[in-house]
Amino acid sequence: MQLFLEQLINGVSLGSLYALFGIGFGLVFATLGILNTAHGAYASWAAILGYYAVEWLQVPFPMAVVIGTVGGGLIAIIVDQVGFQPLRGRKGGMLGALITSIAFLIVLDSLAGTATGHQSWAFRPGHYPDGLIDFGPIRVPQMQVIIIAAMLIVGIGMHLLVQRTRIGAAMRAVGWNEEAASLGGVNARVVILITAFLAGATSGLAGVLGGAATANISYQLGEGLLLKGFAAVVVGGFNDVRGTIIAGVLLGVTEVFVSQYLSSTYRDGVTYVLLLGFLFLRPRGLFGSGSFIRA
Amino acid sequence: MEMLLDFWAAYSSTVVFAMVNSFIALSMYAVLSAGILSFTTIVFAAIGGFMAAQMIAGAGLPISVAIMGAGLAGLAASVLLAPLFLRLETHWMALASLALVLITRVVVLNAPALTGGVNGMLVPVRVGVMEMAIWLALVALVFYRLHHSWYGLATRAVREDPSVAATMGISTWRIQFIAFAISGAVGGIGGAGMAVTLQFISADTYFLGAAFTMIASTVLGGSFHWFGPIVGAFIFTALPTLMQSIVPSIQDVAKGVVLLVIMIYLPRGLVDPRARKLRKAARERQTLRDHHAPLEPSHDTILPGKTSKEAKA
Amino acid sequence: MQSSKLFRQALAIGIATSLGFANAAIAAPDAGEYQLGIISDDTGPIASAGISYHDGADLAIKEINEKGLAGEGVTFTLSVKDSASDAARSVQATTQFAADRNILAIICCVLSPNAAGVSQFAIQSGLPVVIYGATREGLPQEPYITSVVALPGPQEVLLAERMAAEFAPKKVAYIKQSDSDIQSARATKVQKVMEAVGVETSAEVFVLGADTDFSGPATQAMVTKPEMIFVWANQTAGIGVITALRQRGYDGQIVTSDIISPPAVFEKSGATVANIPFAVSFQPGVSDSSTAQAFIDAYKADYGKLPDVYAAQGYTAIHLIAQGMKSLDGKPTRKALAEAIWNITEIEHNVYGGQQMENGQARTPGTLIVNWTKEGEVKRWEK
Repeated sequence: MQLFLEQLINGVSLGSLYALFGIGFGLVFATLGILNTAHGAYASWAAILGYYAVEWLQVPFPMAVVIGTVGGGLIAIIVDQVGFQPLRGRKGGMLGALITSIAFLIVLDSLAGTATGHQSWAFRPGHYPDGLIDFGPIRVPQMQVIIIAAMLIVGIGMHLLVQRTRIGAAMRAVGWNEEAASLGGVNARVVILITAFLAGATSGLAGVLGGAATANISYQLGEGLLLKGFAAVVVGGFNDVRGTIIAGVLLGVTEVFVSQYLSSTYRDGVTYVLLLGFLFLRPRGLFGSGSFIRA
Repeated sequence: MEMLLDFWAAYSSTVVFAMVNSFIALSMYAVLSAGILSFTTIVFAAIGGFMAAQMIAGAGLPISVAIMGAGLAGLAASVLLAPLFLRLETHWMALASLALVLITRVVVLNAPALTGGVNGMLVPVRVGVMEMAIWLALVALVFYRLHHSWYGLATRAVREDPSVAATMGISTWRIQFIAFAISGAVGGIGGAGMAVTLQFISADTYFLGAAFTMIASTVLGGSFHWFGPIVGAFIFTALPTLMQSIVPSIQDVAKGVVLLVIMIYLPRGLVDPRARKLRKAARERQTLRDHHAPLEPSHDTILPGKTSKEAKA
Repeated sequence: MQSSKLFRQALAIGIATSLGFANAAIAAPDAGEYQLGIISDDTGPIASAGISYHDGADLAIKEINEKGLAGEGVTFTLSVKDSASDAARSVQATTQFAADRNILAIICCVLSPNAAGVSQFAIQSGLPVVIYGATREGLPQEPYITSVVALPGPQEVLLAERMAAEFAPKKVAYIKQSDSDIQSARATKVQKVMEAVGVETSAEVFVLGADTDFSGPATQAMVTKPEMIFVWANQTAGIGVITALRQRGYDGQIVTSDIISPPAVFEKSGATVANIPFAVSFQPGVSDSSTAQAFIDAYKADYGKLPDVYAAQGYTAIHLIAQGMKSLDGKPTRKALAEAIWNITEIEHNVYGGQQMENGQARTPGTLIVNWTKEGEVKRWEK
């Protein structure tokens, strides 16, 4: 029972990172029509920024999280304005944006390699919450609790933002049809900027928290998140924050349980077969509301 | 002369790798030209690669037979996969193909009898430059013939507008099925090419890195003409080698920047038949205007690249 | 005139080889500058180790040139081609080196797959290669491919025997990297030793090299309440596992391999890696031969940090070539150099306090069992 509980929390915490990362990935996919392979690089860069903020500026960990998150958002805006903006209005479809994002993936990853001296870094013990919290029968690392809480807060916040606010309505409108949205009085440019920032920031948040929890801050941090976040988005339905959250957590739990009770050999296989199964059998995701409008 | 020989000896392997990558890029182009973005090429390449490695290392067959076998294996895989994939909408197909690449890696790692598992496979022989060139010439010839055939016309129609294609009596499903089959065969050959040039293949040989770089080189070269992917593959293969001798520290950044600049300024790639036609049309107009300047006043507002209707007309 | 001199030299070499020895007093390579090549891993996923190998090699070149260790008036330059750990780029670099007539020999390769590809091509084109990082068995090929990396095995056995003797644990767990044949083979060796003396295996947990989250595996191992956990994985994964174990409050003994030996690792992880015994053959602070001390001092002076085990291997690879070079006579050829290197049975200039070679393969040198202290020093490990 204790093992089950501990592994469940491990899974939920891991899945929370996937979900946190996936929210932005799905948002950009739904609103801006971009399959952004550089989304993982935002997470790597956010973790690197957070790490150097702690090392060089001696800021406390919460401040490092803020710096990483905002940094991730700003990088996403730069990438969007430099790379994706020129493609808009050309009707290049998904292909042009995909290739541009690959270009940014190459550039950002290789610059991140240089920035870290090709090493993998970690927040030093004591520079981040590395203690345990006692929950009666089990003890849980503080970082896991923080990650789960962050995912819940950001997840609910983003869901409300997209579904209930005017900004969210505008985002959905742009995702629906950019031209029609501008006719209806929505400033598409602003909506695009906000979307890019939110996506980069959530990816960045996942990056800093994940980097701290796994003691691995390097340019490779984003790649793992990208593959699993991608799976979470597809399974959850790409323009549905709720779906991404549930799918992300489910994937995390599945992964941990498959390794614990089956074999780690099949872990990734199970995840990706699940992913493929959803694509073929339920391509609209868990809640079945998505559709590609910009195709 | 001796210098030339040395230069050739030094860079012949870069040329061979560029040729091998050309197959992969052509395989991606085969489906792209029919309006499908798919990474399944990498899956076909993996199948072809391990097939060829087994035929050479296990059965001792000659390279040319192994390449043929790899092409057939790729073809078989694509014919099986295509009906499944064609049930999906284009965007989902791209995602599903990506998922399949991820699964392929897991399968390769867990089928040591076929692939060597985590140890990968050694391939004891290396392909000659001439042999690879002949294979590429053969494949390119096929693409050339297809480009100028009814099938080539039909793919362009399907890519531009499937509904219009349908009214013209073109079955999108059939065209895309054929595209998948071609992609499978060529991808298989490319995978075998990788096996006999790297001489060592493993799960990592056929993974996302290859998928991303190859789709990038295809689009960079130009995905509207069969010659584009070959140009793209050569540039993307030679670029790191070139940068190595100029500024080694930023070789990867340079690769990304080149890709970015081309996507922004030449979004249709380096080899773009439409741009060529537009330039030709503009030249003709220019000559026309030079001769009959007062008679053709309206044409100078039309700039190349601004309108596609003009070129099609 | 020229040709008759060449003829006499060839004759001399012929006689020397047919007699089975080359007299060092008579034999000497022509003075001049010779080029070596390195297929480096300066960028890419394993650049952290790759840069160390490269730095060690550079230092060796500098030293050899200053002290004439490769023969009177013989100097080396090192031509660099970065592979970014990519197999295709490694092979391309090999062809370029092979085609460059000025290149006498190359050193390379951290990853076994790349080493395998490079070796195949080098043999076909007759280019001597000294491998400095890849540990797969069977890489050396007479005469062109030699390796200064000892095969894994003996060190693990020593370490395991020591742990079994000093702790006499009842239950131990093993966390292994399943997608690396080398790491899992090393872990299995340890496990065999432990099981032979009756230590119960409480859990065998597998992780993958590209994993980042190890909370699951850590829990899985800890829940079986082992007194000792052996961690055998690549550097990033291994340190990730150790951190995860400590984060969840595991206070038993952790034992691992030389992945935590580089000073950069302590800089990264600090106290997390303290008091974990590991086996190495070179470690600043513990290696005390005069050659080792000189190497450490020179390295510190040039790079402002302590050398790690990887730097030592890059350094050794170049010194092996220098030793081969010194035994040649006249104008060295690739083939003669390869044969000279292949026939070396002991690397004279080494930081291990003795380094035997057998059939082109380095034997395991003296093993040190050490650990990091909380203060960031490496000491011989004591219970």
